[in-house]
Amino acid sequence: MNPAEERIVLRLPARSEYLDLIRLTLYGVATKVGFTYEEIEDMKVAVSEACNNAVLYAYAGHADSDGVGEMEIRFVRTPDALSIIVKDEGASFDAASVAQKAEPLHGKSIHDIQAGGLGLYLMQALMDEVEVRSEIGTEVVLTKRLVKSGELA
Amino acid sequence: MNQNEKFQLRTETQEGRCIVYLSGELDLDSASQLRAAMAPLMELTDRELILNLSDLKYIDSTGIGIFVSVLKARHAKNAPFEVEAIPPGIRKLFDMTGITPFLTKS
Repeated sequence: MNPAEERIVLRLPARSEYLDLIRLTLYGVATKVGFTYEEIEDMKVAVSEACNNAVLYAYAGHADSDGVGEMEIRFVRTPDALSIIVKDEGASFDAASVAQKAEPLHGKSIHDIQAGGLGLYLMQALMDEVEVRSEIGTEVVLTKRLVKSGELA
Repeated sequence: MNQNEKFQLRTETQEGRCIVYLSGELDLDSASQLRAAMAPLMELTDRELILNLSDLKYIDSTGIGIFVSVLKARHAKNAPFEVEAIPPGIRKLFDMTGITPFLTKS
């Protein structure tokens, strides 16, 4: 581990009832790091989108009650950024095909609009960097840079 | 305030209008509650269906997806649907995704 990195790790069942706990934890960590209210609200949505994917798709094949998988949220703090890494060990989704569908609804007709793809689009729009890795399971790395007050953005 | 607030909804039926007030956090966990509440209301084509978001604290693509499906269902029935009192933080997400013009009159 890079000595300039500090990590906080949350491991929990990949179930929607825990999403509020993830948002609360993110709020606590991001406040401590020094992000503004608006930046934290942006991160909340982006992190939830990544977690929604883990809850919905990662373990979809094993929906039996005792077969619920886990997801891990790692908050990695460096001197100038916070990365939130959402990891599951389920069936990885095809990141490349999902990325192609990541588009907003601007300029479309009512017949063409659909919500699929908005999640990844929002992650990209709300964070400074988004990386999706699919090896064993899926890992989404969401990074927000810390703009210190007095610095130009 | 960053205490999580439980999602709640309240429906008010007036002459010619049905207003659904959403409050708290609309996420993947509370989405089914909204879907279930909206299903019968979408069939009421003789009145305007309005979602009031003044007390909504959080939304993500799950909630936006439900709005899109309600919008499309109402459009197919040629029945009016609108979203009102959108808080600034939520409006920002609507503008980003491009859904604002579909949900509001002006």
